[in-house]
Amino acid sequence: MAVLQAGGGVRRYYNINGWLFVAPALGLIGVFMVYPILWSLWMSFQTGKGLTTKFGGFANIIRLWNDPVFIKALSNTTIFFVIQVPIMLFLALIVAAALNNPKLWGRSFFRTAIFLPCVTSLVAYSVLFKSMFAADGVVNGALQALHIISSPIPWLTDPFWAKVLIIIAITWRWTGYNMIFYLSAMQNIDKSIYEAARIDGISARGRFLYITIPMLKPVILFTMVTSTIGTLQLFDEVYNFTEGKGGPSNETLTLSLYIYNLTFKFMPSFGYAATVSYVIVVMVALLAFLQFYATRERD
Amino acid sequence: MYYTVTSRLARVIGLAMGVSVLAVAAAQAKEITVWCWDPNFNVAIMKEAGERYQKTHPDVTLNIVDFAKLDVEQKLQTALSSGVTDALPDIVLIEDYGAQKYLQSFPGAFAALSDVVDYSGFAPYKVQLMTMDGKVYGMPFDSGVTGMYYRKDYLEQAGFKPEDMQGITWDRYIEIGKQIEAKTGKKMMGLDPNDAGLIRIMMQSGGQWYFDAEGKPNIVGNAALKAALETEGKLIAAGITKPATGWADWVGTFTSGDVASVITGVWITGTVKAQADQSNKWGVAPIPSLGIEGASNASNLGGSSWYVLESSAEKAEAIDMLNEIYAKDIDFYQKILQDRGAVGSLLAARGGAAYEAPDAFFGGEKVWQNFSDWLAKVPSVNYGVFTNEADAAVTAQLPALTKGTPVDEVLKAIDGEVSAQIQ
Amino acid sequence: MLSDRTTALLSSIATYLLLGFVSFLSVFPFLWMAIGATNTSIDVINGKPTFGSALMTNITGFFTQVDVPLVFWNTAKIAIVSTILTLAISSLAGYGFEMFRSRVRERIYQFMLLTLFIPFAALMIPLFIIMGRAGLINTHIAVMLPVIASAFMIFYFRQSTKAFPSELRDAAKVDGLKEWQIFLFIYVPVMRSTYAAAFIIVFMLSWNNYLWPLIVLQSNDTKTITLVISSLASAYYPDYGVVLVGTVIATLPTLLVFFLMQKQFVQGMLGSVK
Repeated sequence: MAVLQAGGGVRRYYNINGWLFVAPALGLIGVFMVYPILWSLWMSFQTGKGLTTKFGGFANIIRLWNDPVFIKALSNTTIFFVIQVPIMLFLALIVAAALNNPKLWGRSFFRTAIFLPCVTSLVAYSVLFKSMFAADGVVNGALQALHIISSPIPWLTDPFWAKVLIIIAITWRWTGYNMIFYLSAMQNIDKSIYEAARIDGISARGRFLYITIPMLKPVILFTMVTSTIGTLQLFDEVYNFTEGKGGPSNETLTLSLYIYNLTFKFMPSFGYAATVSYVIVVMVALLAFLQFYATRERD
Repeated sequence: MYYTVTSRLARVIGLAMGVSVLAVAAAQAKEITVWCWDPNFNVAIMKEAGERYQKTHPDVTLNIVDFAKLDVEQKLQTALSSGVTDALPDIVLIEDYGAQKYLQSFPGAFAALSDVVDYSGFAPYKVQLMTMDGKVYGMPFDSGVTGMYYRKDYLEQAGFKPEDMQGITWDRYIEIGKQIEAKTGKKMMGLDPNDAGLIRIMMQSGGQWYFDAEGKPNIVGNAALKAALETEGKLIAAGITKPATGWADWVGTFTSGDVASVITGVWITGTVKAQADQSNKWGVAPIPSLGIEGASNASNLGGSSWYVLESSAEKAEAIDMLNEIYAKDIDFYQKILQDRGAVGSLLAARGGAAYEAPDAFFGGEKVWQNFSDWLAKVPSVNYGVFTNEADAAVTAQLPALTKGTPVDEVLKAIDGEVSAQIQ
Repeated sequence: MLSDRTTALLSSIATYLLLGFVSFLSVFPFLWMAIGATNTSIDVINGKPTFGSALMTNITGFFTQVDVPLVFWNTAKIAIVSTILTLAISSLAGYGFEMFRSRVRERIYQFMLLTLFIPFAALMIPLFIIMGRAGLINTHIAVMLPVIASAFMIFYFRQSTKAFPSELRDAAKVDGLKEWQIFLFIYVPVMRSTYAAAFIIVFMLSWNNYLWPLIVLQSNDTKTITLVISSLASAYYPDYGVVLVGTVIATLPTLLVFFLMQKQFVQGMLGSVK
């Protein structure tokens, strides 16, 4: 009885504290995220150029279907996402596992080195990569010297290799970043669990599969969702490597780059740009839901 | 209690007003804010203009804010679209290709200067591109008049003389290129297969653009565009181009001495001359002609102009400054030519000493005189409001051209993409 | 026994090969950047692979073209203030959402995560209008406001809070600590490796932030370092030597933060989570 009576008080106490902890964040997000989002939702029903807009209903959605450039951007974005995210996260997990050995010599050196790429600024990164991957640049030179290829790879001028280069670049920049998440989560795992497992004779691989991975599940989910968002909103790399063109032949044009062009480069068409951005929203929401679902199922 | 609060409030307001009085006093020394890009070119030139204007108007100062070109365009478009006019500068630099887009999408945002400025002294194509409904809105600035820079030493090794480069057609250019490659192993030009710049040069030299005078798409029946695409296809098929990936790589093709010629806007002169060890090895000729009806040996690539915002608090001063310096000061144009290699679009400037001077780097040729002659011959075209869209469509089809797709099909594909984009 | 040792040896060789290879690939572009910073612009364009002698010229060039102390101060101020605020607000919220669950807040949390999916380009114009109405254009506050309540970081802190041992909280409650005291004196110290990682990431994102500062900052005296470098790199004929010196200088603070915070990682690892 006493417990039950206390129930209401506890709940109220919980509630007040709960709101107090989250209030500052919710206030800011409300003003600087939700309000602009609703605004852009409203804009997505407007048509017209620049400042002269009128209500267009679903005109922008119809325009999507008849826009070959949009279809191209959508398929490019999907290809980047499907290929790049698994490669990067797998690599990050392997590297983090290798680094999570206190006896490893040169551990902090490796960790620092692999994390370094994500501290570069956009400008540095694009200037560097363009020079390294030029037709007669250092990368082709090295590959030729090693007899891996016989003629230079046209990294930025061939539709296929341009996509490969973008994938290499994002993976270069963000693998270390994801690795740090895995590593810091691995270090939060209680060491005694490993000790116990070791005493029970479970192999290193078994400990990794049955202890590390399950304990890491929240973080893996986290990196999956953020990488999905990052890849579906891919902009920086393609914008800088292709001088904003998404070339060759629109083969690296992504949805975000197309939104940017519609907003800032082309005749301003904010309504249509907002509609394209909601396509990304729908895609990410669906994928995130799938990922949450997939990781929850095994509980 | 109430009394003390209000009196305290009054004191605060008084303080704030004191501050604002100071601010007003400071503002009376008029400050003109300018947005532009390129610290060594536009920024430096505007600084020079400001210093000249200050000699007669000591109360006016210039605050020049320097951003990347894409950044200036993006900031301008954001501020104009959101209607937050106090975020705008007094003067902004706009690339000529984009002028009509801004003028037509944001009517009333820019000040018409036709009542103040005498436009008859400027290169006609520059005035045309900033005219809307009979009013002229900008101050023509640097020109992108094109020329063909060529390596005299490579030419000589292949048995050609500088005269052989004067007033040629593209077919002749390709012929010369093949022979130069055979004799010296050097390619004729660097070409970025993802950049439509060369197409634009050729098309404008043929007197046409992606759009007709009414602003309607002019793609499938555009003889100049067709000839331009065919020519680029021939250049690639002839194997006389060195592929480049992006701007820096393209610049590298000629600074490293790998190619025998460069065809682009006059603003590249500074980069060419930066290779001191290549002094005396370069010559400049008019660009090749498409050889179709109405084709010329003069064209334009890039170039930009100054625009005054209608919302500007210092509108009158800004217009007056531009008019006094950019429309009248011949000596100013000599100075910016000498210091920055900037070819302005005021035709009267070419009578000045700097334009007359021979250039030792080019073996004593009067290159500036030549450029200003070609400047007057650049065909006027209507850049329209969708040049960026059309350019993106052309760029997207260039790889197809490289693979040997028939030009008519390429034109159709471009037309399809342009039509989808400009609805 | 022997075969065990052999396996161990082989696996550690494989580990070193993997780490060595990945590290080399990660670091090589930085080496390339350092080489470029010592070369003249032309040598950079021509892809010269060796160190040159133009370093001092490039440094001088950068310092004469850019008001380095001011630009640094602007960038550092924005990065430090917004990182601290982001960490404070997001960890409070992450803790709040995880520790005090209710159906309403769960819904709000899920809705909040949806905001992550909106590409920033689509929000720029509404945000700019908001800032314009608030009279905040060209202020550093306008740069910071939209980033400090980060749904991304709230998500990160909530996920990490799941690993926070609830016995600690129970024990503290028995000792009579109030909720804010538990958060401040127990959660924060215990989670310091989480904070360290978050600090590095938010600082780095803020330091390198480009699109939004570009839109709201209007004058030379408010600009941040990425804007300055971007404008140097976009000249008709950029001096790539100077640009690369700029990128080296712009990268140093983020490197420094990472190296300093690494010690925090190690401390966190040495075991406060018990």
